[in-house]
Amino acid sequence: MIRHWPLVLKNGLRNKRRTTLTVCSIAVSLCVLGVFLAIYHSFYFTDATPEQAFRLVTRNKVSLAQVMPTSYRQKIEQVSGVREVMVMQWYGGEYKDPKNMFARMAIEPARFFAMFPEIKLAEEQKLAFQRERSACLLGRELAEKFNLKVGDRVTLKGDIFPGTLEFTVRGVYDNTRRPADEMFFNIQYLYESLPQRRRDFAGTFAVLADSPDSVPRVAREIDALFRNSPVQTKTETEREFELSFISFLGNVKAFLLSVCGAVTFTILLVSANTMAMSVRERVKEVGILKTLGFTRGAIMGIILGEAALIALLGGILGWCLALLLTQGLRYAPVMIGEIKMLTLRPSVTVVLLAASLIIGIASALIPAWGASRTTIVDAMRHSG
Amino acid sequence: MPDPIIITRKLRREFIRDQFHVIALEDVDLEVQPAEFVALMGPSGSGKSTLLHLIAAMDRPTSGEIKALGTDLRALSDRQIARWRNQHIGFVFQSFNLIPVLTALENVELPLRLTKLSRKDRLEHARTALELVGLGDRVHHLPRQLSGGQEQRVAIARAIVTDPDIILADEPTGNLDAGSALEVLTLLSRLNKEFSKTVVLVTHDPHAAQFASHTRHLEKGQLLPNSVAV
Repeated sequence: MIRHWPLVLKNGLRNKRRTTLTVCSIAVSLCVLGVFLAIYHSFYFTDATPEQAFRLVTRNKVSLAQVMPTSYRQKIEQVSGVREVMVMQWYGGEYKDPKNMFARMAIEPARFFAMFPEIKLAEEQKLAFQRERSACLLGRELAEKFNLKVGDRVTLKGDIFPGTLEFTVRGVYDNTRRPADEMFFNIQYLYESLPQRRRDFAGTFAVLADSPDSVPRVAREIDALFRNSPVQTKTETEREFELSFISFLGNVKAFLLSVCGAVTFTILLVSANTMAMSVRERVKEVGILKTLGFTRGAIMGIILGEAALIALLGGILGWCLALLLTQGLRYAPVMIGEIKMLTLRPSVTVVLLAASLIIGIASALIPAWGASRTTIVDAMRHSG
Repeated sequence: MPDPIIITRKLRREFIRDQFHVIALEDVDLEVQPAEFVALMGPSGSGKSTLLHLIAAMDRPTSGEIKALGTDLRALSDRQIARWRNQHIGFVFQSFNLIPVLTALENVELPLRLTKLSRKDRLEHARTALELVGLGDRVHHLPRQLSGGQEQRVAIARAIVTDPDIILADEPTGNLDAGSALEVLTLLSRLNKEFSKTVVLVTHDPHAAQFASHTRHLEKGQLLPNSVAV
């Protein structure tokens, strides 16, 4: 086939408009496939960060919307292998406009930095945050997006919780592992805004284990502690907890796989149609090549090579588009961390390019087989 | 007298076309001597082209024997036939049949791509063949940039570039004006006389047949017994 490469190349460029349109259609389809594969990979094949490997999340077994008593913390702290426990509560609320979506979490400042060592900020900001009840921390990306700086006021209008909370920005942090786009504030400030009878609750407990190896055992023991309690718990790794958020969207895995399958099948049909047309137009030339001594194998190689070339060009272009799109999706107004860190990993690139090659070859297999089997006499009689 | 380069015995070719049974050739016995120039004549549908296709091993007979250069063509596999054709047969079509996306040089080089020659040697051979047909100055032209006569000369260059023993021409002047036809026929005659190539020319043009040393007539698939020596 390599010997006939110039012929493959010239055949591929014979009908420039059709080749361009085919390359573009394959590129767009593979771009979609690439983005979905990147999302799939990001959701289901991304390892926990070194910090995450130590962390667990305990929540109400019934649902995330159900809370737990804060007294559970003391019991969890007694479990062997637990180094730290911190109450965390999703606040929700609204900042200026409902469209301004970002995570607002109520936490315990005294335990926060031990729990999340990947969060970095200046020592004086850290102390100011811990000292002042109404202080808040903003991720750098978030602060830049809303043009906020240390000392500025932030007002959140409650939706899950009643009332309005006023904060002063006391620190802008960086995150060494993921986008710094969240807001943290003292949970005591939230409790104080609520009536006394409503203050004893914890949405989740962040649990820090003494080693990644003890994480599974700690999870089992925490849940065992509350098995006979009125409020049972579900403890999982932080990574599993994040994935459970994704599962709220439905069967994401099946959705992503079915979209990938549908896209692949569609490209296959488009490419097969193009190759069938292209080969049909050239049946007579197949007869000429055979007359000159080209074997069936050589004919198949030339046609398959042409299809593979076109599909591979589409694949490369599709990869470039997917790369741009994944970069763009990082700035999408979604609160799924995986989307904000979306990237085309080498494994996804390899799968994408391999898929384009396979699609190219599969789409041309039947036309190439048919052409190679055509007798010279039948081929020469073909009017094309 | 040397052994015939082409021998057919009781050669028969039948087709089924749209449920109709067609006998294209019936009991054809033909012998062509080396370095002979034979014209096959006959009306349309008489089986001239079918016989030429069988000699070129482009088609297989229904029954009968066919030998070329001492090889029983029926005994060869498809792969062996392809190689045999590449080495021993040069075929010239009526409608030139050049590959439109390739230049004259690339078209002529095409059969050499199946040989072990280096690219440099292939191009050198192709250039020589083009010069032989008088198109040394048209090597980089695409078929659409050439006249009909020039295209046919490129086709002849492609047919002779592998230095085949037999040149088979299927109405090579059918699509040409008188001047170009004369050039092509002169060229075939030269290849026969100067290079001792065996030429089998299918034509229904008596003027073209005059270039041949022998003429055989086909009618309704049968080879007529009269052999006309010129």
